[in-house]
Amino acid sequence: MKRRQALKALTAAAAVPWLRVELRADEIPQEQVFVLRDVAPTVLPSAIGANGQHEAVDNFLRWIREYKEGVALSHGYGDPRLVKSGPTPAPSYTQQLIALQQAAQARGGRFGALALETRRELLDAALRAADVRTLPGRPDGKHVVADLMAHYFRSSAANDLCYRAQIGRHTYRAIRVTTVRPAPLRG
Amino acid sequence: MAVHECDVCVIGGGITAALLIERLAALKPNLRITAVEAGRSIFDRQNRPTYHRRAIEYGEHPWHDDYIEDQQAKGMISMTMAVGGQALHWGGACNRFSAEDLRLKSLYGLADDWPIEWDELERYYVQAEHRLNVAGDPSPYAEDRRSAPYAQPAMPLSFNLQVLKKWAEQSGLKFSPLPMARNITGPTDGRGACGLYDTCGEVCPTGARYSPDYTYQQMIAAKKVTLHDRTLIRRLTLADGRDTIAAAVGHHQDRPNDPTEYRARLFVLASGQCWSSHLLLLSASSRFPNGVANRSGLVGRYMNGHKFISAQASIAEETFPGQNLTHSLISREYFRCAPGQPFVRHDTRVWESSAGREPRLRAADGRLLLGDELLNDWRARALDGSSVRLRTYYDSHPSADSRLTLDPASKNRYGDPLPKIEHRLDAAAAAREGATLAHCTAVFERMVKASGGRLTGAPTVSSYWDHPAGGCRMGTDPAHSVCDSFGRSHDHENLFVIGAPTLPTGGCTNGTLTFVALSLRSAERIAEAV
Repeated sequence: MKRRQALKALTAAAAVPWLRVELRADEIPQEQVFVLRDVAPTVLPSAIGANGQHEAVDNFLRWIREYKEGVALSHGYGDPRLVKSGPTPAPSYTQQLIALQQAAQARGGRFGALALETRRELLDAALRAADVRTLPGRPDGKHVVADLMAHYFRSSAANDLCYRAQIGRHTYRAIRVTTVRPAPLRG
Repeated sequence: MAVHECDVCVIGGGITAALLIERLAALKPNLRITAVEAGRSIFDRQNRPTYHRRAIEYGEHPWHDDYIEDQQAKGMISMTMAVGGQALHWGGACNRFSAEDLRLKSLYGLADDWPIEWDELERYYVQAEHRLNVAGDPSPYAEDRRSAPYAQPAMPLSFNLQVLKKWAEQSGLKFSPLPMARNITGPTDGRGACGLYDTCGEVCPTGARYSPDYTYQQMIAAKKVTLHDRTLIRRLTLADGRDTIAAAVGHHQDRPNDPTEYRARLFVLASGQCWSSHLLLLSASSRFPNGVANRSGLVGRYMNGHKFISAQASIAEETFPGQNLTHSLISREYFRCAPGQPFVRHDTRVWESSAGREPRLRAADGRLLLGDELLNDWRARALDGSSVRLRTYYDSHPSADSRLTLDPASKNRYGDPLPKIEHRLDAAAAAREGATLAHCTAVFERMVKASGGRLTGAPTVSSYWDHPAGGCRMGTDPAHSVCDSFGRSHDHENLFVIGAPTLPTGGCTNGTLTFVALSLRSAERIAEAV
């Protein structure tokens, strides 16, 4: 079979529902990943550039993929409690992105193409509906946009960007590196 | 019933058991030593970089299944029950108590004196510091005399801590780097060098921060100890017609209906402040109706530790949070209390902090911050001075009613009542609580005023007692103590209790080094006794 014919056959097969590759429960469908990538430039800093924003979304998607359900979380100290991780947030993230896309379309089109204040209004409403009041310490499954923001802004890289310095929190470092004022951030 | 025989049966598998066994095996190489631990062995150091990453990214507990769900105590500060114990995830702080801790009654008419001389304990501090490879500098206070240097020079101060030391010392207090059980100068004792992952209190990917699991693995490989993990000792039984302990009876988690009897010439109870008293109380019999080693009625009493007062300050100096969050400065200025002055003793600690300068989702007016707005808002707050975390651990003397009791309302799978710990101050300590808070607040205010900073809120008193100890206090009088200064039970010549439970009072700084030093001292007496 020639390559073009094979591709045609694969495309046709994908159109048959029972032949479609089943989406894993811990993943967001590609259509909604596009929405997330469309939202990213609004909620992530421009200083990291389009590539950096793309990478931040990739890192967040990896976080979703590698999420484990029913795992004991840190017990804490002083007043310890056994708390286990909940179900994967992927399905609710998907629904939230669908809702955001629909809300954007109702306001005139693709999310990223709307005026900044319209985007703010849509996100504000979505986050209030999900009871997101503060930036989570780490993604907590309440809302996909707040969690994307938390995943980036709570990272070591974002800390470095904020201070414009190579601090490298929670990464491997030679002790001597930390004994002097951190070097300025490159670039 | 299965029977296991050995010379010394150590009940518990934490840090004091590890170092006691190591010392005992060195003193008496042919001893058959068995350690029995209720929790499991977590000997998977190759996975720790992954656990470190997942702890940061997902908040996952990095020590999988290090707890037994139906073997938990009310009032206990950690759920961990595994080979290595709570020292699997300690910060590594290795402060010494001071001579005053041992002479509270003589010097101040408060609490009780310890039945041990400072100069003798100091020698075991040196041993403990070398076993744990502690990195520290001599205290700037002459009273903190030492007979030998630390195993390594102090952990170098980060840029942030250098700034904070200069800031804090404007108050007149002298600060030094907190002594830490971390491999600073290079890999040592099978453990890697510090890579400043800064998650000592969760998991150390390189093993640089001392962790007892390494010691157990080395001792098992060298056949110095037989380790029975996942085995809960439920009773100590007495020899017929004698007051010696004949056996410890336990159940392996996989064989709940098939107990094992551990017979030994000598038993060492090394189960920490909670489970040591618990086992003694559970082992009541017709001859010892109040529990084993409890003719005094003091098992489970005088549970101690210390309370602490925390505050946050805002200062003008520039720091870069995230350099070394787990390291701190310590001042021992208030380890001593001048005669005639109101009694107060505490350490004073300073950490870098980003409190109040974290990224936030909404501006002060509630407006949602997006992308660059969020970064700019964060940066404006982060670069406008620095936050500082302050804390004092203060001397908190327990009353006899500061107790561990058996809770009939809470039982494990075998139907044994579980422990319930309720800390209570003695009358004098309770009466000076307000003055202690006022004093510590004044110390914090003195520090910030000296440099133009400010406290960002009122200092707060802890809701729990940290570094808990007590329950089997040592003493010379069998009517007023459970064991002698070596941990030997007054009631049973072949039973020793070691480490934290034996402390009459909990000092005013981290306790682990003291627990280890006392255990190393006990090891010498046990080697003579067995």
